[in-house]
Amino acid sequence: MHRLRIEPIGETVSVADRQSILDACLRAGIWLPHACGHGLCGTCKVSVIEGEIDHGGASSFALMDFERGEGRALACSATLCSDAVIEADIDEDPDARHYPVRDFIGGVAAARMLTPDIRGIWIELDGSGIEFQAGQYINLEIPGVPGRRAFSLANPPADPRMLELHVRRVAGGKATAWLHEGLTVGDRLAFSGPYGRFFVRKSAPEPIIFLAGGSGLSSPKAMILDLLAEGCRAPMVLIHGVRGRKDLYFADLFCALAERHGNFTYVPALSAPESGDAWDGEIGFVHEVAQRRFGGRFAGHKAYLCGPPLMIEACINVLMKGRLFERDIYTEKFATAADGKASLARSPLFKRI
Amino acid sequence: MPATKKLGLKQKYALMTRGLDWETTYQPMEKVFPYDQFEGIKVKNWDAWEDPFRLTMDAYWKIQAEKERKLYAVIDSISQNNAQLGITDARYINAVKIFIQGVTPLEYQAHRHFAHVARHLRGVGPRIAAQMQSLDELRHAQTQIHTISHYNKFFDGMHDWQHMHDRVWYLSVPKSFFDDAVTAGPFEFLTAISFSFEYVLTNLLFVPFMSGAAYNGDLATVTFGFSAQSDESRHMTLGLEVVKFILEQDEANLPIVQRWIDKWFWRGYRLLSLVGMMMDYMLPKKVMSWAEAWEMYYEEQGGALFADLGRYGIRPPKHEDVARKEKDRISHEVWAIFYNYTHAAAFHTWDIDDEHMRWLSEKYPKTFDQLYRPRLLMWRDMARAGKRFYNNALPQLCNLCQIPMAFTEPDDPTTICFRSSELGGDRYHFCSDGCKEIFDQEPEKFVQSWLPVHQIFQGNCGGASVEDVLKWYHLNLGADNLDYAGSPEQKMWDQWMAGRHVAQAAE
Repeated sequence: MHRLRIEPIGETVSVADRQSILDACLRAGIWLPHACGHGLCGTCKVSVIEGEIDHGGASSFALMDFERGEGRALACSATLCSDAVIEADIDEDPDARHYPVRDFIGGVAAARMLTPDIRGIWIELDGSGIEFQAGQYINLEIPGVPGRRAFSLANPPADPRMLELHVRRVAGGKATAWLHEGLTVGDRLAFSGPYGRFFVRKSAPEPIIFLAGGSGLSSPKAMILDLLAEGCRAPMVLIHGVRGRKDLYFADLFCALAERHGNFTYVPALSAPESGDAWDGEIGFVHEVAQRRFGGRFAGHKAYLCGPPLMIEACINVLMKGRLFERDIYTEKFATAADGKASLARSPLFKRI
Repeated sequence: MPATKKLGLKQKYALMTRGLDWETTYQPMEKVFPYDQFEGIKVKNWDAWEDPFRLTMDAYWKIQAEKERKLYAVIDSISQNNAQLGITDARYINAVKIFIQGVTPLEYQAHRHFAHVARHLRGVGPRIAAQMQSLDELRHAQTQIHTISHYNKFFDGMHDWQHMHDRVWYLSVPKSFFDDAVTAGPFEFLTAISFSFEYVLTNLLFVPFMSGAAYNGDLATVTFGFSAQSDESRHMTLGLEVVKFILEQDEANLPIVQRWIDKWFWRGYRLLSLVGMMMDYMLPKKVMSWAEAWEMYYEEQGGALFADLGRYGIRPPKHEDVARKEKDRISHEVWAIFYNYTHAAAFHTWDIDDEHMRWLSEKYPKTFDQLYRPRLLMWRDMARAGKRFYNNALPQLCNLCQIPMAFTEPDDPTTICFRSSELGGDRYHFCSDGCKEIFDQEPEKFVQSWLPVHQIFQGNCGGASVEDVLKWYHLNLGADNLDYAGSPEQKMWDQWMAGRHVAQAAE
């Protein structure tokens, strides 16, 4: 296992022994240009600034000898022989803060059910806490469960010592079962972070649309609290979609924010209201409500989408039909093992969405 | 002094390539750029073009020069080592003949027209991309000519390919395809060639030829293939960027792009039926069947692409369902056309042996034994009886794709598919709904088609007899054409192989 820094964005990722640079970057959410994926076309050419790499099966036409001599490499074929730094042909994001990933241990300060299947968990950190951008996530270790699980932070960065997680119970999932039933106040939890490129592009002046599905409220909650606390004046709308009235949470908080801030609108939406719900609000899936609210026209906005893969896909479709395109759409997909089959094979047409 | 941050590649590239798109003052912009608006494509902001690759001219020359040095070193060694002896069988070379006659001239056409597009788009990003592609295509044409010229020293049918490309009946299929593209506006050209061909269908052209070469000991073709493929990434990403750019610029562009995608999918697919024949019938050592290639490269990869394009409101190309229905038969139907007319072609066809038939039967379990094996066996019997079948009637051609009318009904592989349209008192014939619909969209364009059979009957092709016409094609009669069995090429190959056996026996 080696560490790889990617310039000009300054992010660092871990690369396993026989893993390609491209694979490690894509898995870490860093998009590098690529096409054929097996060393023939040269689309993924990068410069190696520091460290040793192995060129693997790169074609001698796609990567000429003199280019190898100049420190060029094909990310899809190259593996690392040491820690390394590369420069890739990717755009630097002026709004990315590049906070370093660190390891933390925190104590569970509180936990309560927010809805029948979402548990809120608050983790207290010592010292100065964690530096992150609203919208980013952490990787949490679960006792007795191999691997780590990703959870978005629902607290704003202004509260770096009290982390808030929204954990939806996944049917048959061991990790979320433990977080719902095994975890108690006072437990110590290990995690690393912050991760992810889902954060508000504050340098963009456009009005903002937040589309959240279920526990996908977490990142938008952190983003909205952060923006409003900073005095952001851009119009912003949060559409939060859930099934029934019982699945809605933090509604009072957002209603209160909407009353205090004229530029913030809160739109809760139920896709399957039950007979006792006494609901006079929006009915339908998030993308349907968004389409109605905006008359199907989204050009001139920035959209931040957070939730399960099917909801994200439906929202991207509606936004693009309404003339909002990739450069203005940001997504955080909450995929579980159950979504594996639903994720379609993708073409290289889109980079991030 | 504050530390200045290093420029990113994007910024460096922008500084070197932007600012070339000034507003003209001596002449109005419409006069300087007369071609980029008449198609109805609305562009609000050329600067929204995202360079799909950032290669400076300086780096471009350096990299391409090195690729040339490598390729020409391989070509030298091919010719010094008599690499023609290393191929699996002389029959394989017929695939190379089709390539130099049918594909290489298209590379040259692409070179010319990308230069035209590079001049006539007013956005600087696509201009630079088209300029580099123009140079790439010239390099591809040139390296193919130089590589294949080694085979031309020994084998027939490759001595005057550019002349043949402009005249020979079956070469009017690729020629008219590209003529259609270069006589369209710049955006249709880019959608046709960069998107539909270079992105959606290119794997079905290059993979069969290059893998076919690799499987059959043709190091020369493999090498120019790798060399060309290292440029393809730019061409493919250009194809994607063009379509994204047009679709995002204005929603009025959507139906125009959809119509072009429908049209150029079908045109490209019809053109590739020649490649399907080559894959299934002409490679001594097989790579994969046409049906397998279609499934992998179109149905799977194309499926993912059109799922993504669906976000823009683009639907998969019209008639892709017909292509799916035809995948078990077009290669057999096209082989039959060429077996019929080998006396008028600049490559050979031959009796398909039992082992090859077993392979076809395995790859096409639903169609080969039922529909095509009996015909091949009949032809074998006729040839053994000294009556090798040649069809001496000139075929009716589809007015659009220009392939002889031998394709069958989508739902009935035993009935020839005939479609037609009437215009100005004349009836125009088509092989499919796809071809008829393309004609009906722009009849004024396609009534002008140069149809080889019509031209022969009108007396424009050298004379009234088959021999006159073949001489006008510059065919070497009795060498370039007719069955492989009994050809000078077969005689030469058998002598080479016999010499090899003697040498081995002597060791």
